[in-house]
Amino acid sequence: MNFSKTLRRGTLAFAGASLLAIVTAQAAELTVWCWDPNFNVAIMKEAGDRYAKTHPDFKLNVVDFAKVDVEQKLQTGLASGVSDGMPDIVLIEDYGAQKYLQSFPGAFAPLSDKVDYSGFAPYKVQLATLDGKVYSMPFDSGVTGFYYRKDYIEAAGYKPADMQDLTWDKYIEIAKAVEAKTGHKMLALDPNDAGYVRIFMQSAGSWYFDKDGNPNILDNPGLKAALEVEQKILQAGIYKPAAGWADWVGAFTSGDVASVTTGVWITGTVKSGADQKGKWGVAPIPKLDVPGAVAASNLGGSSWYVLSGSKAKDEAIDFLNEIYAKDIDFYQKILVDRGAVGSLLAARTGTAYSSNDEFFGGEPIWQNFSDWLSKVPSVNYGVFTNEVDSAIAAHLPDLAKGTSVDDVLKAVDAQVKSQLQ
Amino acid sequence: MNPMRTLRSAGTYAFLGVMAFLSVFPFLWMAFGATNPTTDIVKGKVGFGDALSANAAAFFTQVNVPVVFWNSLKIAILQTLITLLVSSMAGYGFEIFRSRNKERIYNAILLTLMVPFAALMIPLFMMMGKAGLINTHVAVLLPFVGSAFIIFYFRQNTKSFPHELRDAARVDGLKEWQIFFLIYIPVMRSTYAAAFIIIFMTAWNNYLWPLIVLQSNEMKTITLVISSLGSAYYPDYGVVMVGTVIATVPTLFVFFAMQRQFVEGMIGSVK
Amino acid sequence: MSSLASGPAQRRRFDINGWLFVAPALTLIAIFMIFPILQSFWMSFQQGRGMNMTFAGYGNLVKLWNDPLFIQALSNTFIFFLIQVPIMLTLALVMAAVLNNPAIRFRGLFRTAIFLPCVTSLVAYSVLFKSMFVTDGIVNSTLETIGLISDPIPWMTDPFWCRTMIIIAITWRWTGYNMIFYLAAMQNIDKSVYEAARIDGVPSIGRFAFLTVPMLKPVILFTTVTSTIGTLQLFDEVANITGGGSAGGAAGPSNSALTLSLYIYNLTFKFMPSFGYAALVSYVIVFLVAILAFIQFYLARESDR
Repeated sequence: MNFSKTLRRGTLAFAGASLLAIVTAQAAELTVWCWDPNFNVAIMKEAGDRYAKTHPDFKLNVVDFAKVDVEQKLQTGLASGVSDGMPDIVLIEDYGAQKYLQSFPGAFAPLSDKVDYSGFAPYKVQLATLDGKVYSMPFDSGVTGFYYRKDYIEAAGYKPADMQDLTWDKYIEIAKAVEAKTGHKMLALDPNDAGYVRIFMQSAGSWYFDKDGNPNILDNPGLKAALEVEQKILQAGIYKPAAGWADWVGAFTSGDVASVTTGVWITGTVKSGADQKGKWGVAPIPKLDVPGAVAASNLGGSSWYVLSGSKAKDEAIDFLNEIYAKDIDFYQKILVDRGAVGSLLAARTGTAYSSNDEFFGGEPIWQNFSDWLSKVPSVNYGVFTNEVDSAIAAHLPDLAKGTSVDDVLKAVDAQVKSQLQ
Repeated sequence: MNPMRTLRSAGTYAFLGVMAFLSVFPFLWMAFGATNPTTDIVKGKVGFGDALSANAAAFFTQVNVPVVFWNSLKIAILQTLITLLVSSMAGYGFEIFRSRNKERIYNAILLTLMVPFAALMIPLFMMMGKAGLINTHVAVLLPFVGSAFIIFYFRQNTKSFPHELRDAARVDGLKEWQIFFLIYIPVMRSTYAAAFIIIFMTAWNNYLWPLIVLQSNEMKTITLVISSLGSAYYPDYGVVMVGTVIATVPTLFVFFAMQRQFVEGMIGSVK
Repeated sequence: MSSLASGPAQRRRFDINGWLFVAPALTLIAIFMIFPILQSFWMSFQQGRGMNMTFAGYGNLVKLWNDPLFIQALSNTFIFFLIQVPIMLTLALVMAAVLNNPAIRFRGLFRTAIFLPCVTSLVAYSVLFKSMFVTDGIVNSTLETIGLISDPIPWMTDPFWCRTMIIIAITWRWTGYNMIFYLAAMQNIDKSVYEAARIDGVPSIGRFAFLTVPMLKPVILFTTVTSTIGTLQLFDEVANITGGGSAGGAAGPSNSALTLSLYIYNLTFKFMPSFGYAALVSYVIVFLVAILAFIQFYLARESDR
């Protein structure tokens, strides 16, 4: 008791003495909200440690919540106009970027005066641009790859070379052969989730909205082709239905299904099955059969935003700029430690990006992903992606039952129109 | 007579056995999960594994367990005790001291029970912001201690509180507050025990509001921490399960401690 | 009741005491409930994106009337309410009666077991139910082994079975919770009445129906009203088990598990935030529960006298 009192008095005296120094240094502690302790949180802490090396007063406080929880807290805080307790930096998933920027004008600080965006993957910059200003520090990319089990496709009579330049029709053909020979389904799919539709669609440079953000459902070749592929997959019986995330992850980590097509952030998870070393390969995703479609797409990914109400706004921007826009070595470190692929294109010149991965049979997968990253088409995620996504997801059972794609599009369009009033 | 009776009691036990098994099974699965590595959990393995110490070690390094546990415990106990006092008094008051105005107010209070909490979150958050209570534990429990639900519960149960006891106490010259504290509370202890369990459980598991109002790692409750662990891109379910098992222990303890009150009847146990 | 409060002085004493008992709770509720409720009620007349809201009068009501998702959420919610609440409360009452019988052994053990589900954390509960109900999961394989079904039940892809699964999940989680209220209330019943009935040769079923149930009526009313509220505000299960809360997911096949509360959540956090419209949907719930609660109170009173 006495001891702690003395200690406290001592601390006070010390604080008084160093008050002057604190005022001149202006070293506010930066607070960051993000999700996933093994990924974003750990990466942000690493970034903070790096920045602190050149800025000794710098302190970073990373608070982790679940992803939906970050969104809830952010929305409640912004909506109630209480700046008390809001963070300086927050992580936002790319699909929601425009929704936040447009619903809460002035809440986020534009960074385009300070940051050189020419080095980043263009689609990441585009999605956080509003009225000519860029608001995000682009972070992890959701560039997609087609991860497959070499042993299964070889048992079905194919070689890894056959996995390049696929179309989705060819993919379904291979899937049927794999199941006939090995008894394994080609993929796991949550029949109530529209994730695959988003991958297909963006690979054709399309989205639910046109460049101006208006809904573009009925007359949209990319979306139509995406739903046609989704329907073919649902009807070909080549998938194992997955109930939620854990079941989906379990399907490919346990060797139950032969492949997974998703964002690069899954790499660490795929590699968690250490006994499957050398059995996996990664190829570009199959191509959609519409003009302009490429073998590259995106799923998920997120970026950092600085709140304009932050008392240490300039410091926060400088910190993000120094590490995320310039530190090539940082990107090597987070790639090796966390399997995170950033969207700074120059990062690929580093050593980690040029190394081959033994888990994938010595393929230069990071160089490949960097190539695909630069090819991901830019689309406008708009402000209503979640609304249309839910509408599409709700109609997936109809697609499986054989309702024509045009009818599904009409139903989705009607639902979306009534919602967006 | 006898075979009939045996048959019936066998049926009763079979019914209870099935119900108990169905209730416990998912819990058992949680315990299985705590002892298995994540790769086995996602495969749906049923049975104990040998990863308990690894999972527990990971949980204790990733989470500041003493702090979050203490935060949860502090909030849950304070919220339970204050709610019990404030809301049982009101339930008692509404039933015993009926008047037309009080009935009107009571109906309005019942109506507040029906408003989904999500609709009140933003106004409440603004209020806490103005009061400077954001990121405090007081802000977590304050909106719930005047609980329409518990007032309703106590009023319904007060209907079975014997008038004779009150009348006798009045004749003996006891003051109203003495009747409440010295007679009502001891007599209604099974009601209080049930309410204690329910409030404690609700407070302990409360999620949405603490999430909104607590901003820093040091203030978080265990429920918030488990949720953030479970939302990783590749959640370590083994660790999450260890967390859930630990998070369940206090409520179970409270249940064990309180359920004795259900067994002892109240009538006749009060002089 | 107020026999002792006949004179004016006593009447005043009686009133003052009554207000003193309810005052602390009333103050708290006025600040933390009534005030925010009025504020959100005001919000329900406004429209707009996020914080760019303007007064829209009955604009939200018009939108509500033409909103197919709202209609779907409303009908789903009613399906859950009509089927689940009676099943759960009957089960809870029967189990409470059985477990209140002193002749049953291991009562403490059974009570605890049946109470367990409602303390299990939501994270574990949702991961678990998802994994138990997958197509090749333990539920289907058990049913197949017993020979009840020949083809696996499509829990996750068929609207009917998805709703059934949700009803099973809610019943599993909340039956023990309601049982607690019944068990506690049964302690307040005078044992001598039972003895008399038993000596008169009334069988246990009769004692349950004609003694226990009427005497528990206030608490049965309580659980009915609170379960009605709980079901009309159903959120946790549908959001976490069907993935209705996740960004790209539907609430069950063809939105078969989209409830009003989940819809409010989506309007507030998942979709373009429309706080005003979300507030209006909340008041639809209030309105419905108020009507249902009124009916329940009325029925309870009617048969009382």
